[in-house]
Amino acid sequence: MKKLALLGALVLAAPLAAMAAPETYVIDPIHSYPHFAVDHLGVSTTRGRFDKMSGTFTVDTAAKTGGVELVIESASVSTGDRDKGARKRSRDEHLRGADFFNVAEFPKMSYKSTAVKFNGDVPVEVQGQLTLLGVSKPVTLKIERWVCKDHPFRKKPMCGGDASGSFKRTDFGMKYGVRAIGDVVALFIGFEGYKQ
Amino acid sequence: MDDLLAHPAVQAAVAPLAVGLAVAALLLPLRLSGLAAAAGFLIAVYLIGNFSFSTLTATRKLVVLATAAPLLGVIADFAFKPTRVAGPVLGVLFGAAALWVFWSVLVQQPFAHGLRLGAGVVALVGLTVAAAVPLQVDAVRAGAAGVGLGVGVGVGAVLGASALIGQYGIALGAASGGFLLLVMMLGRRVRAGASLALTVSVGAALLACAAVLLAQLPWTAAAALALVPLAVRLPLPDRSYLGIQAVIAVFYALVPAAGCLALVWTASGATS
Repeated sequence: MKKLALLGALVLAAPLAAMAAPETYVIDPIHSYPHFAVDHLGVSTTRGRFDKMSGTFTVDTAAKTGGVELVIESASVSTGDRDKGARKRSRDEHLRGADFFNVAEFPKMSYKSTAVKFNGDVPVEVQGQLTLLGVSKPVTLKIERWVCKDHPFRKKPMCGGDASGSFKRTDFGMKYGVRAIGDVVALFIGFEGYKQ
Repeated sequence: MDDLLAHPAVQAAVAPLAVGLAVAALLLPLRLSGLAAAAGFLIAVYLIGNFSFSTLTATRKLVVLATAAPLLGVIADFAFKPTRVAGPVLGVLFGAAALWVFWSVLVQQPFAHGLRLGAGVVALVGLTVAAAVPLQVDAVRAGAAGVGLGVGVGVGAVLGASALIGQYGIALGAASGGFLLLVMMLGRRVRAGASLALTVSVGAALLACAAVLLAQLPWTAAAALALVPLAVRLPLPDRSYLGIQAVIAVFYALVPAAGCLALVWTASGATS
Protein backbone atom coordinates (compact mmCIF):
# COMPACT_ATOMS: atom_id res chain seq x y z
CA MET A 1 0.00 0.00 0.00
CA LYS A 2 2.80 2.35 0.94
CA LYS A 3 4.61 1.51 -2.26
CA LEU A 4 1.47 2.18 -4.25
CA ALA A 5 1.04 5.57 -2.58
CA LEU A 6 4.64 6.45 -3.23
CA LEU A 7 4.31 5.42 -6.85
CA GLY A 8 1.16 7.50 -7.17
CA ALA A 9 2.87 10.51 -5.69
CA LEU A 10 5.76 10.15 -8.09
CA VAL A 11 3.40 9.86 -11.05
CA LEU A 12 1.55 12.98 -9.96
CA ALA A 13 4.75 14.89 -9.29
CA ALA A 14 6.44 13.98 -12.56
CA PRO A 15 4.65 16.59 -14.71
CA LEU A 16 5.36 19.22 -12.07
CA ALA A 17 9.04 18.33 -12.16
CA ALA A 18 9.00 18.63 -15.92
CA MET A 19 7.25 22.03 -15.73
CA ALA A 20 9.80 23.34 -13.20
CA ALA A 21 12.79 22.53 -15.41
CA PRO A 22 14.45 25.52 -17.04
CA GLU A 23 14.24 25.51 -20.81
CA THR A 24 17.24 26.60 -22.79
CA TYR A 25 16.96 28.16 -26.20
CA VAL A 26 19.83 28.64 -28.62
CA ILE A 27 19.83 31.95 -30.44
CA ASP A 28 19.02 31.65 -34.14
CA PRO A 29 21.78 33.86 -35.63
CA ILE A 30 19.89 34.35 -38.88
CA HIS A 31 16.87 35.86 -37.21
CA SER A 32 18.42 37.59 -34.22
CA TYR A 33 20.11 40.95 -34.53
CA PRO A 34 20.97 43.76 -32.12
CA HIS A 35 20.22 47.14 -33.64
CA PHE A 36 21.36 50.46 -32.27
CA ALA A 37 20.50 54.10 -32.78
CA VAL A 38 22.53 57.15 -31.89
CA ASP A 39 22.07 60.86 -32.39
CA HIS A 40 24.18 62.46 -35.10
CA LEU A 41 25.01 66.17 -34.78
CA GLY A 42 21.67 66.77 -33.08
CA VAL A 43 20.15 66.58 -36.54
CA SER A 44 19.25 62.98 -37.27
CA THR A 45 19.51 59.50 -35.86
CA THR A 46 22.04 57.08 -37.23
CA ARG A 47 20.96 53.49 -37.02
CA GLY A 48 22.94 50.33 -37.44
CA ARG A 49 23.15 46.75 -36.39
CA PHE A 50 25.58 43.99 -35.63
CA ASP A 51 25.26 41.20 -38.14
CA LYS A 52 26.56 38.40 -35.93
CA MET A 53 25.09 37.50 -32.58
CA SER A 54 25.09 34.17 -30.80
CA GLY A 55 24.17 32.85 -27.41
CA THR A 56 21.45 31.27 -25.36
CA PHE A 57 18.55 32.24 -23.15
CA THR A 58 16.94 30.19 -20.45
CA VAL A 59 13.43 30.42 -19.10
CA ASP A 60 11.82 28.66 -16.15
CA THR A 61 8.22 29.83 -16.04
CA ALA A 62 7.43 27.80 -12.93
CA ALA A 63 10.30 29.16 -10.89
CA LYS A 64 10.05 32.57 -12.57
CA THR A 65 13.75 32.61 -13.33
CA GLY A 66 15.76 32.95 -16.46
CA GLY A 67 19.07 33.86 -17.94
CA VAL A 68 20.57 35.36 -21.05
CA GLU A 69 24.07 35.08 -22.46
CA LEU A 70 24.78 36.85 -25.71
CA VAL A 71 27.99 37.32 -27.65
CA ILE A 72 28.17 39.89 -30.43
CA GLU A 73 31.01 40.14 -32.90
CA SER A 74 32.06 43.77 -32.89
CA ALA A 75 33.51 43.63 -36.39
CA SER A 76 30.07 42.82 -37.76
CA VAL A 77 28.90 46.39 -37.13
CA SER A 78 27.03 47.79 -40.09
CA THR A 79 25.43 51.18 -40.63
CA GLY A 80 24.98 50.80 -44.35
CA ASP A 81 28.07 52.84 -45.18
CA ARG A 82 30.71 50.32 -46.17
CA ASP A 83 31.72 51.67 -49.58
CA LYS A 84 34.17 54.50 -48.98
CA GLY A 85 34.06 55.66 -52.60
CA ALA A 86 36.40 58.63 -52.92
CA ARG A 87 36.78 58.97 -49.15
CA LYS A 88 39.67 57.51 -47.23
CA ARG A 89 37.37 55.37 -45.10
CA SER A 90 33.75 54.47 -44.75
CA ARG A 91 31.76 54.96 -41.57
CA ASP A 92 31.71 51.24 -40.91
CA GLU A 93 35.50 51.11 -41.18
CA HIS A 94 35.74 54.01 -38.74
CA LEU A 95 33.39 52.27 -36.32
CA ARG A 96 35.58 49.17 -36.36
CA GLY A 97 38.67 51.24 -35.61
CA ALA A 98 40.28 52.45 -32.40
CA ASP A 99 37.95 55.44 -32.11
CA PHE A 100 34.85 53.32 -31.52
CA PHE A 101 34.58 49.56 -31.25
CA ASN A 102 38.33 48.83 -31.55
CA VAL A 103 37.63 45.39 -32.98
CA ALA A 104 41.32 44.50 -33.29
CA GLU A 105 41.63 44.55 -29.51
CA PHE A 106 38.05 43.70 -28.55
CA PRO A 107 36.57 41.47 -31.23
CA LYS A 108 33.57 40.56 -29.13
CA MET A 109 31.13 42.26 -26.79
CA SER A 110 28.86 40.31 -24.49
CA TYR A 111 25.75 40.57 -22.38
CA LYS A 112 25.15 38.31 -19.41
CA SER A 113 22.04 38.53 -17.31
CA THR A 114 22.02 38.76 -13.55
CA ALA A 115 18.25 38.67 -13.05
CA VAL A 116 15.04 38.25 -15.06
CA LYS A 117 11.72 39.74 -13.98
CA PHE A 118 8.43 38.09 -14.88
CA ASN A 119 4.88 39.27 -15.24
CA GLY A 120 3.00 36.04 -14.81
CA ASP A 121 4.61 33.52 -17.12
CA VAL A 122 6.10 36.18 -19.35
CA PRO A 123 9.60 37.62 -18.82
CA VAL A 124 9.40 41.41 -19.03
CA GLU A 125 12.80 42.65 -17.99
CA VAL A 126 16.35 41.42 -18.03
CA GLN A 127 19.01 42.92 -15.82
CA GLY A 128 22.55 42.15 -16.75
CA GLN A 129 26.08 43.25 -17.50
CA LEU A 130 27.13 44.52 -20.88
CA THR A 131 30.83 44.10 -21.54
CA LEU A 132 32.10 46.45 -24.19
CA LEU A 133 35.71 47.49 -24.79
CA GLY A 134 36.73 45.46 -21.78
CA VAL A 135 34.42 47.37 -19.44
CA SER A 136 31.41 45.77 -17.77
CA LYS A 137 28.45 47.92 -16.75
CA PRO A 138 24.84 47.12 -15.84
CA VAL A 139 22.32 47.46 -18.63
CA THR A 140 18.62 46.64 -18.32
CA LEU A 141 16.64 45.33 -21.27
CA LYS A 142 12.86 45.62 -21.43
CA ILE A 143 11.24 42.70 -23.19
CA GLU A 144 8.55 44.29 -25.27
CA ARG A 145 7.34 41.13 -26.96
CA TRP A 146 7.66 37.52 -25.90
CA VAL A 147 6.18 34.64 -27.86
CA CYS A 148 6.69 30.92 -27.52
CA LYS A 149 5.26 28.50 -30.07
CA ASP A 150 6.23 25.77 -32.47
CA HIS A 151 7.89 26.90 -35.67
CA PRO A 152 5.10 26.79 -38.29
CA PHE A 153 7.19 24.76 -40.73
CA ARG A 154 9.84 22.96 -38.74
CA LYS A 155 7.49 22.26 -35.83
CA LYS A 156 10.37 22.87 -33.42
CA PRO A 157 9.57 24.70 -30.18
CA MET A 158 10.88 28.23 -30.25
CA CYS A 159 10.67 31.44 -28.29
CA GLY A 160 11.52 34.95 -29.30
CA GLY A 161 10.57 38.56 -29.21
CA ASP A 162 11.87 42.07 -29.02
CA ALA A 163 13.90 43.76 -26.31
CA SER A 164 15.13 47.28 -25.90
CA GLY A 165 17.45 49.24 -23.68
CA SER A 166 20.08 51.94 -23.72
CA PHE A 167 23.48 52.79 -22.37
CA LYS A 168 25.99 55.62 -22.42
CA ARG A 169 28.96 54.76 -24.57
CA THR A 170 31.27 56.99 -22.52
CA ASP A 171 30.64 54.68 -19.55
CA PHE A 172 32.54 52.06 -21.51
CA GLY A 173 35.38 54.37 -22.51
CA MET A 174 34.08 55.10 -26.01
CA LYS A 175 34.56 58.82 -25.77
CA TYR A 176 35.47 59.84 -29.28
CA GLY A 177 33.35 62.58 -30.86
CA VAL A 178 30.84 62.66 -28.05
CA ARG A 179 29.81 66.21 -28.89
CA ALA A 180 28.95 65.33 -32.46
CA ILE A 181 27.75 61.78 -31.96
CA GLY A 182 25.38 61.09 -29.09
CA ASP A 183 26.52 59.53 -25.86
CA VAL A 184 23.28 57.60 -25.36
CA VAL A 185 23.02 54.51 -27.55
CA ALA A 186 19.56 53.00 -27.88
CA LEU A 187 19.44 49.23 -28.30
CA PHE A 188 16.79 47.18 -30.04
CA ILE A 189 17.24 43.44 -30.12
CA GLY A 190 15.01 41.16 -32.15
CA PHE A 191 15.67 37.57 -31.15
CA GLU A 192 14.52 34.04 -31.84
CA GLY A 193 15.77 30.86 -30.31
CA TYR A 194 15.11 27.16 -30.66
CA LYS A 195 14.70 24.91 -27.70
CA GLN A 196 17.82 22.91 -27.07
CA MET B 1 34.96 77.97 -23.39
CA ASP B 2 33.82 74.35 -23.22
CA ASP B 3 32.97 74.42 -26.90
CA LEU B 4 36.38 75.85 -27.69
CA LEU B 5 38.20 73.20 -25.67
CA ALA B 6 36.11 70.49 -27.29
CA HIS B 7 37.13 71.51 -30.81
CA PRO B 8 39.45 68.85 -32.28
CA ALA B 9 41.86 71.44 -33.65
CA VAL B 10 42.21 73.05 -30.22
CA GLN B 11 42.63 69.67 -28.51
CA ALA B 12 45.17 68.36 -30.98
CA ALA B 13 47.10 71.43 -32.08
CA VAL B 14 46.44 74.80 -30.43
CA ALA B 15 46.46 73.68 -26.80
CA PRO B 16 49.50 71.36 -27.11
CA LEU B 17 51.43 74.07 -28.98
CA ALA B 18 50.62 76.67 -26.33
CA VAL B 19 51.30 74.32 -23.43
CA GLY B 20 54.51 73.10 -25.06
CA LEU B 21 55.76 76.64 -25.50
CA ALA B 22 54.76 77.64 -21.96
CA VAL B 23 56.34 74.59 -20.34
CA ALA B 24 59.51 74.95 -22.37
CA ALA B 25 59.81 78.57 -21.22
CA LEU B 26 58.90 77.92 -17.60
CA LEU B 27 61.28 74.99 -17.18
CA LEU B 28 64.15 76.66 -19.04
CA PRO B 29 65.98 77.66 -15.81
CA LEU B 30 65.79 74.05 -14.64
CA ARG B 31 67.11 72.75 -17.98
CA LEU B 32 63.95 70.72 -18.41
CA SER B 33 62.50 72.44 -21.45
CA GLY B 34 62.47 69.05 -23.13
CA LEU B 35 59.39 68.16 -21.10
CA ALA B 36 57.43 70.46 -23.40
CA ALA B 37 56.55 67.57 -25.70
CA ALA B 38 55.23 65.45 -22.85
CA ALA B 39 53.21 68.32 -21.43
CA GLY B 40 51.59 69.09 -24.77
CA PHE B 41 50.82 65.44 -25.41
CA LEU B 42 49.25 64.98 -21.99
CA ILE B 43 47.11 68.12 -22.29
CA ALA B 44 45.69 66.67 -25.49
CA VAL B 45 44.95 63.35 -23.75
CA TYR B 46 43.22 65.27 -20.97
CA LEU B 47 41.12 67.45 -23.28
CA ILE B 48 40.10 64.49 -25.43
CA GLY B 49 38.92 62.87 -22.22
CA ASN B 50 41.01 59.75 -22.08
CA PHE B 51 42.64 60.14 -18.69
CA SER B 52 40.95 57.05 -17.40
CA PHE B 53 42.85 53.86 -16.74
CA SER B 54 40.17 51.66 -15.22
CA THR B 55 40.55 49.30 -18.13
CA LEU B 56 44.03 49.30 -19.59
CA THR B 57 43.33 49.15 -23.28
CA ALA B 58 46.22 49.31 -25.73
CA THR B 59 45.61 53.01 -26.27
CA ARG B 60 45.72 53.72 -22.55
CA LYS B 61 48.85 51.64 -22.08
CA LEU B 62 50.34 53.71 -24.88
CA VAL B 63 49.66 56.87 -22.86
CA VAL B 64 51.21 55.25 -19.78
CA LEU B 65 54.40 54.32 -21.62
CA ALA B 66 54.55 57.65 -23.44
CA THR B 67 54.35 59.30 -19.99
CA ALA B 68 57.04 57.05 -18.53
CA ALA B 69 59.40 57.93 -21.36
CA PRO B 70 60.01 61.59 -20.40
CA LEU B 71 60.34 60.63 -16.74
CA LEU B 72 63.05 58.15 -17.65
CA GLY B 73 64.49 60.85 -19.87
CA VAL B 74 64.76 63.29 -16.96
CA ILE B 75 66.57 60.66 -14.91
CA ALA B 76 68.89 59.97 -17.81
CA ASP B 77 69.52 63.69 -18.35
CA PHE B 78 70.64 64.30 -14.77
CA ALA B 79 72.19 60.96 -13.92
CA PHE B 80 74.07 60.06 -17.06
CA LYS B 81 76.10 61.75 -19.74
CA PRO B 82 75.01 61.02 -23.30
CA THR B 83 76.80 57.95 -24.61
CA ARG B 84 76.79 56.09 -27.90
CA VAL B 85 75.15 53.05 -26.40
CA ALA B 86 72.27 55.01 -24.86
CA GLY B 87 70.24 54.97 -28.08
CA PRO B 88 70.42 51.22 -28.74
CA VAL B 89 69.91 50.36 -25.07
CA LEU B 90 66.85 52.57 -24.72
CA GLY B 91 65.64 51.32 -28.09
CA VAL B 92 65.70 47.73 -26.88
CA LEU B 93 64.06 48.71 -23.59
CA PHE B 94 61.16 50.58 -25.15
CA GLY B 95 60.86 48.10 -27.98
CA ALA B 96 60.25 45.36 -25.43
CA ALA B 97 57.90 47.59 -23.45
CA ALA B 98 55.89 48.18 -26.62
CA LEU B 99 54.97 44.48 -26.59
CA TRP B 100 53.22 45.09 -23.27
CA VAL B 101 51.24 47.92 -24.84
CA PHE B 102 49.94 45.83 -27.72
CA TRP B 103 49.88 42.40 -26.10
CA SER B 104 46.06 42.22 -25.99
CA VAL B 105 45.95 42.76 -29.75
CA LEU B 106 48.87 40.49 -30.64
CA VAL B 107 47.59 37.46 -28.71
CA GLN B 108 44.38 37.48 -30.72
CA GLN B 109 46.22 36.89 -33.97
CA PRO B 110 47.19 33.50 -35.38
CA PHE B 111 50.56 32.63 -33.83
CA ALA B 112 52.80 33.23 -36.84
CA HIS B 113 51.03 36.46 -37.75
CA GLY B 114 51.15 37.68 -34.16
CA LEU B 115 54.85 36.89 -34.02
CA ARG B 116 55.48 38.92 -37.17
CA LEU B 117 53.41 41.83 -35.89
CA GLY B 118 55.18 41.71 -32.53
CA ALA B 119 58.56 41.70 -34.19
CA GLY B 120 57.46 44.68 -36.28
CA VAL B 121 56.33 46.57 -33.19
CA VAL B 122 59.63 45.92 -31.40
CA ALA B 123 61.63 46.87 -34.49
CA LEU B 124 59.73 50.09 -35.21
CA VAL B 125 59.82 51.36 -31.65
CA GLY B 126 63.39 50.19 -31.04
CA LEU B 127 64.82 51.69 -34.22
CA THR B 128 62.96 54.99 -33.88
CA VAL B 129 64.11 55.42 -30.29
CA ALA B 130 67.68 54.37 -31.08
CA ALA B 131 67.82 56.90 -33.90
CA ALA B 132 66.23 59.73 -31.91
CA VAL B 133 68.11 59.49 -28.60
CA PRO B 134 71.40 60.86 -30.01
CA LEU B 135 69.49 64.00 -31.05
CA GLN B 136 69.16 64.93 -27.37
CA VAL B 137 72.28 67.10 -27.60
CA ASP B 138 70.84 69.20 -30.45
CA ALA B 139 67.69 71.10 -29.56
CA VAL B 140 66.95 72.16 -33.14
CA ARG B 141 67.23 68.66 -34.58
CA ALA B 142 65.38 67.07 -31.66
CA GLY B 143 62.54 69.57 -31.87
CA ALA B 144 62.31 69.21 -35.64
CA ALA B 145 62.23 65.41 -35.31
CA GLY B 146 59.36 65.79 -32.87
CA VAL B 147 57.44 67.95 -35.34
CA GLY B 148 58.04 65.53 -38.21
CA LEU B 149 57.22 62.42 -36.21
CA GLY B 150 54.12 63.95 -34.70
CA VAL B 151 52.71 65.38 -37.90
CA GLY B 152 53.55 62.27 -39.87
CA VAL B 153 51.93 59.81 -37.50
CA GLY B 154 49.07 62.16 -36.71
CA VAL B 155 47.92 62.91 -40.21
CA GLY B 156 48.70 59.37 -41.29
CA ALA B 157 46.49 57.96 -38.56
CA VAL B 158 43.63 60.28 -39.51
CA LEU B 159 43.87 59.04 -43.07
CA GLY B 160 44.11 55.52 -41.71
CA ALA B 161 40.74 55.64 -39.94
CA SER B 162 41.60 56.73 -36.43
CA ALA B 163 41.02 60.32 -35.55
CA LEU B 164 41.89 59.62 -31.90
CA ILE B 165 45.37 58.32 -32.68
CA GLY B 166 45.68 61.12 -35.19
CA GLN B 167 44.92 63.75 -32.57
CA TYR B 168 47.52 62.28 -30.24
CA GLY B 169 50.14 62.35 -32.98
CA ILE B 170 49.38 65.89 -34.05
CA ALA B 171 49.53 66.95 -30.40
CA LEU B 172 53.01 65.49 -30.12
CA GLY B 173 54.09 67.41 -33.20
CA ALA B 174 52.48 70.63 -32.02
CA ALA B 175 54.07 70.40 -28.58
CA SER B 176 57.46 69.81 -30.18
CA GLY B 177 56.73 72.84 -32.30
CA GLY B 178 56.19 74.81 -29.10
CA PHE B 179 59.62 73.77 -27.90
CA LEU B 180 61.15 74.69 -31.23
CA LEU B 181 59.38 78.07 -31.17
CA LEU B 182 61.10 78.87 -27.87
CA VAL B 183 64.46 78.00 -29.39
CA MET B 184 63.72 80.27 -32.34
CA MET B 185 62.49 83.10 -30.11
CA LEU B 186 65.52 82.94 -27.83
CA GLY B 187 67.89 82.60 -30.75
CA ARG B 188 70.03 80.20 -28.77
CA ARG B 189 70.09 76.48 -28.24
CA VAL B 190 68.38 75.18 -25.14
CA ARG B 191 68.72 71.72 -23.69
CA ALA B 192 66.48 69.19 -25.36
CA GLY B 193 67.76 66.21 -23.45
CA ALA B 194 66.60 62.64 -23.41
CA SER B 195 63.31 63.89 -21.97
CA LEU B 196 62.41 65.38 -25.35
CA ALA B 197 64.06 62.76 -27.53
CA LEU B 198 62.39 59.86 -25.73
CA THR B 199 58.99 61.49 -25.57
CA VAL B 200 58.78 62.19 -29.28
CA SER B 201 60.32 58.91 -30.44
CA VAL B 202 58.52 56.59 -28.04
CA GLY B 203 55.25 58.44 -28.42
CA ALA B 204 55.29 58.62 -32.20
CA ALA B 205 56.49 55.05 -32.69
CA LEU B 206 53.83 53.68 -30.37
CA LEU B 207 51.17 55.75 -32.12
CA ALA B 208 52.35 54.44 -35.47
CA CYS B 209 52.12 50.87 -34.20
CA ALA B 210 48.64 51.58 -32.84
CA ALA B 211 47.58 53.02 -36.17
CA VAL B 212 48.82 49.87 -37.93
CA LEU B 213 47.26 47.41 -35.49
CA LEU B 214 44.03 49.21 -34.57
CA ALA B 215 43.35 51.33 -37.64
CA GLN B 216 44.41 51.01 -41.25
CA LEU B 217 47.84 52.60 -41.43
CA PRO B 218 49.97 50.47 -43.78
CA TRP B 219 53.09 49.12 -42.11
CA THR B 220 55.21 50.65 -44.90
CA ALA B 221 53.97 54.09 -43.92
CA ALA B 222 54.83 53.42 -40.29
CA ALA B 223 58.30 52.29 -41.29
CA ALA B 224 58.83 55.53 -43.23
CA LEU B 225 58.40 57.48 -40.00
CA ALA B 226 61.46 55.77 -38.53
CA LEU B 227 63.50 57.74 -41.08
CA VAL B 228 62.57 61.10 -39.53
CA PRO B 229 65.27 61.05 -36.79
CA LEU B 230 67.80 60.17 -39.47
CA ALA B 231 66.62 62.83 -41.90
CA VAL B 232 67.12 65.68 -39.41
CA ARG B 233 70.83 64.78 -39.22
CA LEU B 234 71.32 66.23 -42.68
CA PRO B 235 73.61 69.31 -42.71
CA LEU B 236 72.28 72.60 -41.35
CA PRO B 237 73.79 76.04 -42.00
CA ASP B 238 75.41 76.27 -38.57
CA ARG B 239 76.29 79.95 -38.93
CA SER B 240 72.79 81.00 -39.86
CA TYR B 241 70.19 82.40 -37.50
CA LEU B 242 68.78 79.61 -35.39
CA GLY B 243 65.31 80.17 -36.71
CA ILE B 244 66.47 79.40 -40.24
CA GLN B 245 68.20 76.26 -39.05
CA ALA B 246 64.99 75.20 -37.32
CA VAL B 247 62.93 75.75 -40.48
CA ILE B 248 65.37 73.72 -42.55
CA ALA B 249 65.48 70.96 -39.95
CA VAL B 250 61.69 70.81 -39.90
CA PHE B 251 61.71 70.58 -43.69
CA TYR B 252 64.11 67.66 -43.48
CA ALA B 253 61.84 65.98 -40.93
CA LEU B 254 58.71 66.51 -43.01
CA VAL B 255 60.17 64.75 -46.06
CA PRO B 256 59.88 61.20 -44.65
CA ALA B 257 56.65 62.27 -42.95
CA ALA B 258 55.31 63.24 -46.35
CA GLY B 259 56.48 59.89 -47.65
CA CYS B 260 54.46 58.22 -44.91
CA LEU B 261 51.37 60.20 -45.91
CA ALA B 262 51.88 59.42 -49.57
CA LEU B 263 52.01 55.72 -48.76
CA VAL B 264 48.80 55.96 -46.71
CA TRP B 265 47.07 57.90 -49.47
CA THR B 266 48.17 55.44 -52.12
CA ALA B 267 47.18 52.41 -50.06
CA SER B 268 43.72 53.75 -49.29
CA GLY B 269 43.19 54.68 -52.90
CA ALA B 270 44.41 51.30 -54.11
CA THR B 271 41.88 49.42 -52.00
CA SER B 272 38.88 51.58 -52.93
